[in-house]
Amino acid sequence: MQRFFFIPCLLLASLFLNSCTTVIDAKLDTGPIELSVDALLTDQPGSQTIRLTQTAAYFDSSTPPAATSATVTVSDDAGKTYSFSDPDNDGYYVWQPTGKDTLGHIGRTYQLTIAYQGETYRASSKMNRVPAIDSLIFVKRKLNPLSKNEGYRAEFYARDIAGAADYYRVRFFRNGELQNKPANIITSQDGGFRTSSGVTDGLAFIVPIRRSINPDSLFALNDNVKVELHSLTLEGFDFWQQLRTQITNGGLFAPPPTNVPTNIINTNAAGRKATGFFVTSAVRSFSASVTQVNIRVRED
Amino acid sequence: MKHHLLVYLFCFSVTLVPIGSKAQTINVLEKASNKGNHAALTVSGYIKDAANGEGLIGVSVYVKETSTGAVTNNYGFYAVTVPPGNYNLVISYVGYAKQTRSVDLTDRNIRLDLELQQEGKELQEVTVSTKREDDNVKNIEMSVNQIDVKTLKRIPALLGEVDVIRSIQLLPGVSTVGEGATGFNVRGGSIDQNLVLLDEAPVYNSSHLFGFFSVFNPDAVKDVKLIKGGIPSNYGGRIASILDVRLKEGNAKKPELNGGIGLIFSRLSYEQPLFKGKGSFIVAARRSYADILAQPFLNSDLKGAKFYFYDLTAKGNYRINDKNIVFLSGYLGRDVFGSDFGFNWGNTTLSARWNHVFSDRLFLNTTAYYSNYDYSLNTDLKQKRPNDFFRTDSRIVDYSIKPDFSIALGKNLITFGGQAIIHDFQPGTATAASAGSVRSFGIANKHALESALYIGNEQQVTPRLQLQYGLRYSLFNYTGPGEAYTFSTEIPLGQRREVVTTIDYKGNNTIQTYGNWEPRFSAKYELNNSSSLKLSYNRLAQYIHLISNTTASTPLDIWTPSTNNIKPQIGDQVAGGYFRNFGRSTGTGSEFEASVEVYYKWLQNQIDYIDGASLILNKYLEGDLLSGRGRAYGAEFYIKRNTGVVNGWISYTLAKTERQVNGINNNDWYPTRFDKRHTLTSVLMFDPPNAKRWNFSATFTLASGTPGTFPTGRFEFDGHVAPIYEARNNYRIPAYHRLDLAATLQGRKRPGKRKDDSWVFSVYNAYARKNAFSVYFQPNVDNPRVTEAIRYSVFATIIPSVTYNFKF
Repeated sequence: MQRFFFIPCLLLASLFLNSCTTVIDAKLDTGPIELSVDALLTDQPGSQTIRLTQTAAYFDSSTPPAATSATVTVSDDAGKTYSFSDPDNDGYYVWQPTGKDTLGHIGRTYQLTIAYQGETYRASSKMNRVPAIDSLIFVKRKLNPLSKNEGYRAEFYARDIAGAADYYRVRFFRNGELQNKPANIITSQDGGFRTSSGVTDGLAFIVPIRRSINPDSLFALNDNVKVELHSLTLEGFDFWQQLRTQITNGGLFAPPPTNVPTNIINTNAAGRKATGFFVTSAVRSFSASVTQVNIRVRED
Repeated sequence: MKHHLLVYLFCFSVTLVPIGSKAQTINVLEKASNKGNHAALTVSGYIKDAANGEGLIGVSVYVKETSTGAVTNNYGFYAVTVPPGNYNLVISYVGYAKQTRSVDLTDRNIRLDLELQQEGKELQEVTVSTKREDDNVKNIEMSVNQIDVKTLKRIPALLGEVDVIRSIQLLPGVSTVGEGATGFNVRGGSIDQNLVLLDEAPVYNSSHLFGFFSVFNPDAVKDVKLIKGGIPSNYGGRIASILDVRLKEGNAKKPELNGGIGLIFSRLSYEQPLFKGKGSFIVAARRSYADILAQPFLNSDLKGAKFYFYDLTAKGNYRINDKNIVFLSGYLGRDVFGSDFGFNWGNTTLSARWNHVFSDRLFLNTTAYYSNYDYSLNTDLKQKRPNDFFRTDSRIVDYSIKPDFSIALGKNLITFGGQAIIHDFQPGTATAASAGSVRSFGIANKHALESALYIGNEQQVTPRLQLQYGLRYSLFNYTGPGEAYTFSTEIPLGQRREVVTTIDYKGNNTIQTYGNWEPRFSAKYELNNSSSLKLSYNRLAQYIHLISNTTASTPLDIWTPSTNNIKPQIGDQVAGGYFRNFGRSTGTGSEFEASVEVYYKWLQNQIDYIDGASLILNKYLEGDLLSGRGRAYGAEFYIKRNTGVVNGWISYTLAKTERQVNGINNNDWYPTRFDKRHTLTSVLMFDPPNAKRWNFSATFTLASGTPGTFPTGRFEFDGHVAPIYEARNNYRIPAYHRLDLAATLQGRKRPGKRKDDSWVFSVYNAYARKNAFSVYFQPNVDNPRVTEAIRYSVFATIIPSVTYNFKF
């Protein structure tokens, strides 16, 4: 919820204060190098990729070193095993479907096993249900309250599945390009904010989430917009939410800097730790263009 | 509720039992005295300011012949007991003309009410804070700072607005996480460990505009006292400090109008005598107006954005007769900020007090109060959207009664009493509407009864040795109706504990009880007339906690009671000090006063949070909490010049404050976010002798940077670069320093006119330093592989301001 302090803070800053941020030099120590796992598996057809790298010094802006020569397998609770291989030694481990087979199926639980440099790491994750996206509309707005320029603000409609708590991530693409800034990490529980309450269970996604799929510049006429809704486990939800918090963490009300959680566990508790996450998502998407058909005129 | 009342009645009757018997003894004594056969007699009464009838707190009443004396209490009442005889009383108070009265105490008790005249030239030689002559050395209190409003009004202030909480941050041992942060930290305590009292009612959020201003309207404040150690037994409920703010009673002599126009808000207060001088009242209001001024400049999207705060403070008193006075005070304040997404918070307090003089030496004050703090968050603050919104509301409500007796018996001043507080926590209701469907959800309210009984004595053992000792027993009942949870103990510390069982408590059944004995002790030994040694120990228990997981506390942080899963916080502190006055005598004290104090504190059951704790609307919040211990120690050096063309104070604090929590930082000790090794503050006031209408002041603060958690590695995930941390608070942000200046120009006095006005010009952050509030680490927005260290400054520039104050 922290991210919503932004608006009042912006108001404060522009009206009363003169707060400022400056990039400064800082000397940092570097901790031990660990295996880092970037595994996002979906129920979509086609190949699936898991990327293994090594952690680096915080200010090291080069491509992270690939973790090569690992053995990577995924198995599910239906007794199937999927092998991932890295023929070009670049840390991208790929599973290729044979025939019409897809890896992910809603309701199954997947286990990832990685053998790397003498250590064995495991992670497990369920592929949860996801609702369809019903529509996508656009409203002409100013880019932000202080701007003179206008654009089209996108808004998607989907309805949370009633019953048990559901966790989602929303992604969006502009003309085929994934919008992937830290602020574009959008998570939702039951179509609303994270609470223990399930207050939004079964409701249409609430306004702040509905309208979260916009770049700073909003969209332009004739842009093509695609929205994806990904299901998550509670752990996966916490991971994405913490990741967003930790990479957008500043200002007066910053939560304490802490490590983003991981579900990659070394089978030998005394062995080297790993970081990253094994996420399994069922994905539904919807595309629309900013054309008169999809544009609405509204007060708000 | 029945259960609450029973306990309360019990508490009250227990306190009343000794009263009956004490009162009887005194009647006997008085009868005896009338026969001319008596061991001791008492002179007592109220001491007030002759100009406006305000009771004066801390006036010294000294008996020349016996070298003993007393000090007026918070209501201006004193009582001195001596063997029969004729005596000379010397009544003195800094800034007021000294009076000597001879009293005939040969055969009966005397009631002596007095009014003191302010010294004529008070504006030219403004005296700083302390009230009594050589109070620093002679008073048994240690670790106590008092600021009077006159001083407060001269300290350079942010945007020219005098502020109680920002000003106490200039005192030794008091610090803050950073500019704009809510609250204050005392000797290594977190902000919820301060009991902030407004006429004895607790204020749960003392801030306006996040932490930039505090809720106390300086035009209505009479006295501010901060107790950091040696806390007497009549106070309890928080483990770090007591900030006791007392409101003015209102001018009992003539109507008075005060006001001020500043850049950010305006103030207006009115006071007037009532019932032919038998009473008086004051009403004071403030409102910010940046929103009104800015409205024409806002374009349509921001039109209707709300950002304002206001407060209303009022107090009245009525003197029924010589033995009974009643007071009623109230505060109402609110902050509203936001546009589409915004929040709204405010406090309401109401306290009613009854002062009763049973006999010349037994004094009773009974306070009953109500305090309410509520806060909400919503997504349609600017424009109501009945079909699409998300709103949460939370509050904490207290009802309390607190009888407090004091009795002067020779060289003893005994205080005793009790308190019962009904706490009603409403952690949150949420209402969500989406596309026309509305849902709402509430977390069950939590209920608790906090009660305490205490007794204390201030004893003059020898002319040089004075002791203050006491005992407080506090009892906390966490009761139904409500749900109590137990959590899994199998999960490794530092991770979310899942709820295992839920028990539904009906009625007022007790879910959990905690009781604590809280011993208090202080001693003062006067080495000579101008120096003394003081020592103190106190234990304090705290049963309610502020759950806050951000650098600066937000108005949405949650107050929660101790439960079956959250243990009460316990704080123990020992402190010792050397106090000395020197320089020429000013007639009411010494030119300089100085002190050195050292302290060590042990804290138990300190609350911390698992990584990624979810605090808002989480009914299983307790499963996200961790418990640890704390320690804080330090030395505080303080020197003050009370008088002269240049006066003011310099303080230096050397301190360390740490926590150790299993499940955090590999279970090692780590410095708290508000740990500062060195803090130097100086407040200087300059009263040029040849420019009578002008005076000047300057404050300078220099402090070590606070700790920050800096990354020691990184990893990539789906195109994002995330930090890796190895330890909490492992680095420090750059040091903080700031100079503020102020000049006051008094308006010309016109003969025959009552109007009095002044202009205050102030400059905050005079050399425009970009002080770091925090240093944080983020990927560059356009190129996420490039990570940056970013210094965040709340005020990055010089902030000048002008305020016009007037008085009729």
